[in-house]
Amino acid sequence: MSALMDAITAAFGARILETGDFRGDLTISVAPEAWLEVLTFCRDNEATKFDMLDCLLGDHLPERAAAPFALVAQLVSHTYGHRLRVKTALTEGQAVPSVTSLWPSANFDEREAWEMYGIGFTGHPNLIRLLTTEDFEGFPMRKDFPLEGTVGGRVRTDLRGKI
Amino acid sequence: MNDAIAQLIFLIIKAALMSILVVTLVAFIIYFERKFAGFFQGRVGPTYLGPAGAFQSFGDIFKLLSKEDIIPAEADKRVFKLAPYVMFIPAFLVMAVLPFGPVGGTPNLFGYRFDYVIANFDSGLVLLLAMGGIAVYGVVLAGWSSNNKFSLLGGLRAGAQMISYELAMGFAVVGVMVMAGSMNMVKIVEGQSGNFWDWYWAPQLVGGIIFFIASLAELNRTPFDLAEAEQELVAGYLTEYSGMRWGLFMFAEYVNLVVVSGIVSTLYFGGWHAPFTVLDFIPGPVWLLIKIMIMVFIYMWVRWTIFRYRYNQLMSMGWKVLLPLSIANLAVTAIVIAIVG
Amino acid sequence: MSADPHTDTHGAAVDTHGHDSHGHDAHGNGCAPAGPKRPTTEELIARKAATRQEIEPGADLMTISIGPQHPSTHGVYRIVLDLDGEIIVDGRPEVGNLHRGIEKLCENRTYHQIVPLTDRLDYIASFAMNHGFCEAAEKLMGLEVPDRGRYIRTIAHELARLSNHILWLGIHVMDLGTQTFFCICFRDREYILDLWEMLCGARLTHSFARIGGVAKDLPDGFEYRCRKVMEFLPKRVAEYERIVKNNRIYYKRAKGVGVFTAEDCYAWRVTGPPLRSAGIARDLRKDEPYAAYGEVDFDVAVEYNADVYDRFLVRMKEIRESCKIILQCLDQMPDGDFISKDAGHVLPRKSEVMRQSGAMIQDFNQVFRGPQAPKGEVYRAIEVPKGEMGVYIRSEGGGKPARVRFTTPSFYHGQALPALAKGEMIADMVAIFASIDVVLGDCDR
Repeated sequence: MSALMDAITAAFGARILETGDFRGDLTISVAPEAWLEVLTFCRDNEATKFDMLDCLLGDHLPERAAAPFALVAQLVSHTYGHRLRVKTALTEGQAVPSVTSLWPSANFDEREAWEMYGIGFTGHPNLIRLLTTEDFEGFPMRKDFPLEGTVGGRVRTDLRGKI
Repeated sequence: MNDAIAQLIFLIIKAALMSILVVTLVAFIIYFERKFAGFFQGRVGPTYLGPAGAFQSFGDIFKLLSKEDIIPAEADKRVFKLAPYVMFIPAFLVMAVLPFGPVGGTPNLFGYRFDYVIANFDSGLVLLLAMGGIAVYGVVLAGWSSNNKFSLLGGLRAGAQMISYELAMGFAVVGVMVMAGSMNMVKIVEGQSGNFWDWYWAPQLVGGIIFFIASLAELNRTPFDLAEAEQELVAGYLTEYSGMRWGLFMFAEYVNLVVVSGIVSTLYFGGWHAPFTVLDFIPGPVWLLIKIMIMVFIYMWVRWTIFRYRYNQLMSMGWKVLLPLSIANLAVTAIVIAIVG
Repeated sequence: MSADPHTDTHGAAVDTHGHDSHGHDAHGNGCAPAGPKRPTTEELIARKAATRQEIEPGADLMTISIGPQHPSTHGVYRIVLDLDGEIIVDGRPEVGNLHRGIEKLCENRTYHQIVPLTDRLDYIASFAMNHGFCEAAEKLMGLEVPDRGRYIRTIAHELARLSNHILWLGIHVMDLGTQTFFCICFRDREYILDLWEMLCGARLTHSFARIGGVAKDLPDGFEYRCRKVMEFLPKRVAEYERIVKNNRIYYKRAKGVGVFTAEDCYAWRVTGPPLRSAGIARDLRKDEPYAAYGEVDFDVAVEYNADVYDRFLVRMKEIRESCKIILQCLDQMPDGDFISKDAGHVLPRKSEVMRQSGAMIQDFNQVFRGPQAPKGEVYRAIEVPKGEMGVYIRSEGGGKPARVRFTTPSFYHGQALPALAKGEMIADMVAIFASIDVVLGDCDR
């Protein structure tokens, strides 16, 4: 397992902001600028070979005022059987490059992170609402979004494909 | 009263009787189908209306009649309304050429000759094929006029299916025609007189199987129910139909089932003849009805047992397997007939 | 026997013979291939290209919206297809019609209260979802499940797999046009549901797993009935195979349709039976054992042609293996507790709550404050019937999670449908969609 971390730290050095190992889950944190680069490395490098993106999710940490949003990618390698979590911290409205070019399966994940948290993705082929209705307002998974109430709900065909 | 007037009266009576027979038969065949389906699937089927649910179909008819008749706003209304009848009427017409008993011969009823067939004419087989061809227009028109993409695909499929199967069916039927030396249904049945091994199923085994398969396609039943494949096209050409218009399509489908069963029985299983000559004391119509019901059961059995073909597989089977086979069957039959006489 | 996931690489599993007759060692160890000829990846790609039809550019396309009320979209899935005749040129899946905000709800519930929510994810195999969440929560809290609890969980999980696969078979076959077989499958699934009814009283949404174990011990008479059903089901599978596998029309409809190679599966995160049908012996029950899977002997079902037909074969094998696993669990069933005694994280038994003051305090604490989890984040993936299901939990301490994410297989399988069905016909799309086994509760969360 350390071979994996060695390979990544050797390649990126100080650009890996933080490493963690909680309950056997290896975690690295990177800056948003290095997001695509690190993930590309993870996929292509012989020592890491993460061929599958297990999931990609957004997160909201309002207590972390400087960068309240997080993006977490959970990678898995079928060659070696190891897993890795790659995290990045984002500010409001900050966008990261889309990883759909690396793993097409990130498409829905990124759309979900975008609609639920407002995390932007540059280069995403089809960044429209996925789970909520077309006229939904706000980002429902943010911590400050109320649990009860009615937002949107009418199916507006005029907005189809535009949001 | 001269013979012509008597025949006219008989004709009207026969036509009325035949219509009533087919309509009631269809009502009960729908009931049987549901009961059989239940039997195959470990269910009980309809049970409430009448003894063991026997009048379920009549209840359904009243339900369908009382339903709102919805026509899509953008549909071609005239064609939309016409389509069920285009499918419905040809199905009935074919019944006219099916002989239910002996034709011609000595006067047998009140001193007049009663023929057990409505229309005794020489091109009966052609009428049969023609009506089969026209009935498909009902499906195509329904699919076109509904202004629904699923309906359109269903109509297109039905058209393509008809083209691939009518040919094989036609060639298979020509084999029987060669055997009987006539296109008259009455003559075809007369050619099969004798015991059950004298019927045409034995010499025309290949043709019979081809005809059976093609008739499945003609009937739009599994494995060839592509035009209304509910898992693919929702309900195909029926998608936009509701109420009694939908009921007419269903009704036409079951009339077709009876008719095709009758045709198969007539062409290959001796028509109204008894399976053994010693059983000839039982009248012909009874035998024909028994045979029709057995065929109907077989069609139901097939429907509730096997999978659906894919559209292109059906086409390739029609053109690459059934058509060459039926032509070969015709050639062999013709050669044998020419040699044996 | 301990199955180390890293002794053998998955890449090698493609080249070794690893099914039937080789006991639990599904990865094989150099034994000569005796099975049918196995296609290479290149052959699979060539085969895929051969079955899929080329569309000339500029063709006049018809756009058709299939779903959400279409009979064969298995719920409220919707796909907008571009058709050239009947050939699919492109498709855009749309999900979300069943979105219930379960992840948002999870952030406002204690860990114990989340378990019933997970039932509503994959309602066909709801125990698998309970199990996945509980495994993740236990990983976060560092809880050990007692042996008996682990074995009961294994039995329950396999029962969920059985009921899922049998239902899947019925629906898959119905999508190919035969309705009778659907009823046969439902009849047989009833035996499994009866077992569920004995086990926890519910037939669909079980909520049977608890953090630290399971809700109840095995009831009296369960073992006898379970053994009867498990001995009877393989005979049923043989019957299914007689009806379906050897059916010529099924063969024609399914063979070579929807070819999806292992690389495609990785790219689209298609896991579970579709991945195993592509020749990859990837099964988290074997590779990252949880519950009692490390202690029972079973094969990973693998097939090599990556098409609809092989997905069917994989699932039939899995039904057989599940029966084997359940019988072994019943044989090896240890005595002891079925739920952990850890007072800080586990609900006490209801029978004790009204009698013992300690249990009452524990119950009060657990119900009102929730299990006190440490700060941290975990990800735990398990093999559910439909594929790999992962649960990500971030905790800031306290009784409620700060973020829960259910990585459910259907979400990705539904997304991959256009890639799977491109160039095939509508009828194939229906077969393919059934073969990847999507349930929309699982997809939309």
